[in-house]
Amino acid sequence: MRILVVEDDKDLNRQLVEALLQKGYVVDKAFDGEEGHFLGDTEPYDAIVLDLGLPVLDGVSVLSKWRRAGRKTPVLILTARDRWSDKVAGFDAGADDYVTKPFHMEEILARLRALVRRAAGIATSELTCGPVVLDTANAKVTVEGRNIKLTSLEFRLLSYLMHHPDKVVSRTELVEHLYDQDFDRDSNTVEVFVGRLRKKLGVDVLQTVRGMGYSMVAPS
Amino acid sequence: MRSNSLWFRLLASSAVISAVLLLTAAFLLNAIFVHALERNFDQRLRSAMDGLLASIDISANGKPVLQSQLDDTRFTLPLSGWYWQVRNTTSGETYLASPSLLEQLIPTANNETSTDGSGLFAYSAQDAKGTNLRVIHQDISLFGKPQKYDVRVAGNFSELSGEITSFQHTLFGLLAGLGLALLSALVLQVRFALRPLAAMRRQMNDIRAGKIDHLDENYPNEIQPLATELNLLVDANREIVNRARMQVGNLAHALKTPLSVITNEIGKNASSLAKKLREQLDVMRDQINLYLERARREARAQTAGSSTEIAPVVEALARTVKRMRRDQKIDFQISVPADLLFRGEKQDLEEMLGNLLDNAGKWAKSKCRITAAPLAHENRDARAWLEITVEDDGPGIATHLREQALKRGQRLDETKSGSGLGMSIIIETATMYAGGMALDSSDLGGLKAVLKLPMVV
Repeated sequence: MRILVVEDDKDLNRQLVEALLQKGYVVDKAFDGEEGHFLGDTEPYDAIVLDLGLPVLDGVSVLSKWRRAGRKTPVLILTARDRWSDKVAGFDAGADDYVTKPFHMEEILARLRALVRRAAGIATSELTCGPVVLDTANAKVTVEGRNIKLTSLEFRLLSYLMHHPDKVVSRTELVEHLYDQDFDRDSNTVEVFVGRLRKKLGVDVLQTVRGMGYSMVAPS
Repeated sequence: MRSNSLWFRLLASSAVISAVLLLTAAFLLNAIFVHALERNFDQRLRSAMDGLLASIDISANGKPVLQSQLDDTRFTLPLSGWYWQVRNTTSGETYLASPSLLEQLIPTANNETSTDGSGLFAYSAQDAKGTNLRVIHQDISLFGKPQKYDVRVAGNFSELSGEITSFQHTLFGLLAGLGLALLSALVLQVRFALRPLAAMRRQMNDIRAGKIDHLDENYPNEIQPLATELNLLVDANREIVNRARMQVGNLAHALKTPLSVITNEIGKNASSLAKKLREQLDVMRDQINLYLERARREARAQTAGSSTEIAPVVEALARTVKRMRRDQKIDFQISVPADLLFRGEKQDLEEMLGNLLDNAGKWAKSKCRITAAPLAHENRDARAWLEITVEDDGPGIATHLREQALKRGQRLDETKSGSGLGMSIIIETATMYAGGMALDSSDLGGLKAVLKLPMVV
């Protein structure tokens, strides 16, 4: 899962990025509206945390520009302005959620999880595929009740695939969502990780669709 | 009447000036009248002198003698005030004198005034009895002789004092009446002239009470500049307050980011320092919210007489709450007349309804209903009111807990998120508008909140 954080306060930006990294997300960051808009416009994020009081271009304008351009990425607005007129303006510009400062990191994380899930059309916080259960709230994976220890990259890979069940996910798409923008992307490494993940899970849920990509299929 | 007032100044100064002018006029008129009387009297004395001269003859030894007595008996009564005498101009020897003089002389004076340039002089004097005399005097040579005779005729001027007194009475009476008339005209004039000042004071009061924005622009020329300056001052004052308020807002909002940073930095740290910090951070957050709320409230107190359409506000808020709680798929049924107007600030309505709708959305299973309608007038003079009802099909609040729910910071269910301040914000704001909120149970099954607010008719 790849997240963009647009927040001009350096400390808060760092804290958000650290907390997200810890939960296994891939994170890009921007410190002003223009940079944020550019990244959100060109990279396929799974969710965006957007501050409203941004230098160069304010948050509501950034959001409106994305929505006008047809970008449907879930956006969580993070702002100090807590009046209802601000909330109305934010949601009318196309926000998916709204958190006012000061906030607790857990709240942001929980709401981001919900946003990503909702975008994938999943209602619960636990994703299942046959015997494999992924707990998004605690970033845990179990197979038939056994805890599976995964590296963060393996977790991201599994999480992305499980957020898109019954869909063939191409290697390029995987790479885009597994690595941040600075990473030197090589889709061949994905194959290596898929192999390791299969071994760790020990059940045959991760199918390779020749020439197209990968898909999670529950064994019948 | 206070001595330090324009009213007093105008009246006192005008009264003093009128008094001085009236007294001067009285003095002058009196002098003119007396002078005219004297001239008239002098004329009478002159005819008496002509009569006297006509009956004088010169005896052989060159002394003048009286051929016949004068007809006028006043010249014979002793010390009647009517006298005549003929003397030698050089030696001062008295040749002839009226019997009334009783061997005395008519007093002389050195302030004689010429009456017509013909050598006739007139002056005022007093005789031995103290009677006021008017005397005319001429040095005459008789029958072509070189010898000159000093002829004087005196009349009793005191006889005219009654006439003078009665004239003076009339004069002073008239002038006093004129003075009183002037004074009352002045009172009316001052009252009329100062009326715009009283109006200006009333308007200043209204500005302070928030009833009007500015003073009128149609004051008299003399005080219009003052009114204009006052308007500028009011504007400047308002701007300073607004700027200060905006800075409070900006400061408060700016502090929220560092507060977030510190809160996150502490995280779940269990040390006593972290505990202390968390505690103090909560205090800071509450303070910030308190002052923000206060600044907003004071901003509202200034803008009087605003009105807000209810329907668009309800629709925008319902749309927002629906998006916020997209997963719940709540159906908002809105029935608000398009022409219903709330007598107050849009922001206040938004805060009240936003919190109410959010609360309803939080508990609703699938349905929320928002209705608004004007309340029936109690009587014609009373303020008009409207009611906004927000209902949900959630669990509701038990009757005995409703009162507690309306208290500040109370949260009946700690498991759902929220500061518990929503309800108190609604109640405080509604109370500010002299309205209020009541809780009841809805036929949808959940809570029914009824908000009573002033309406624009």
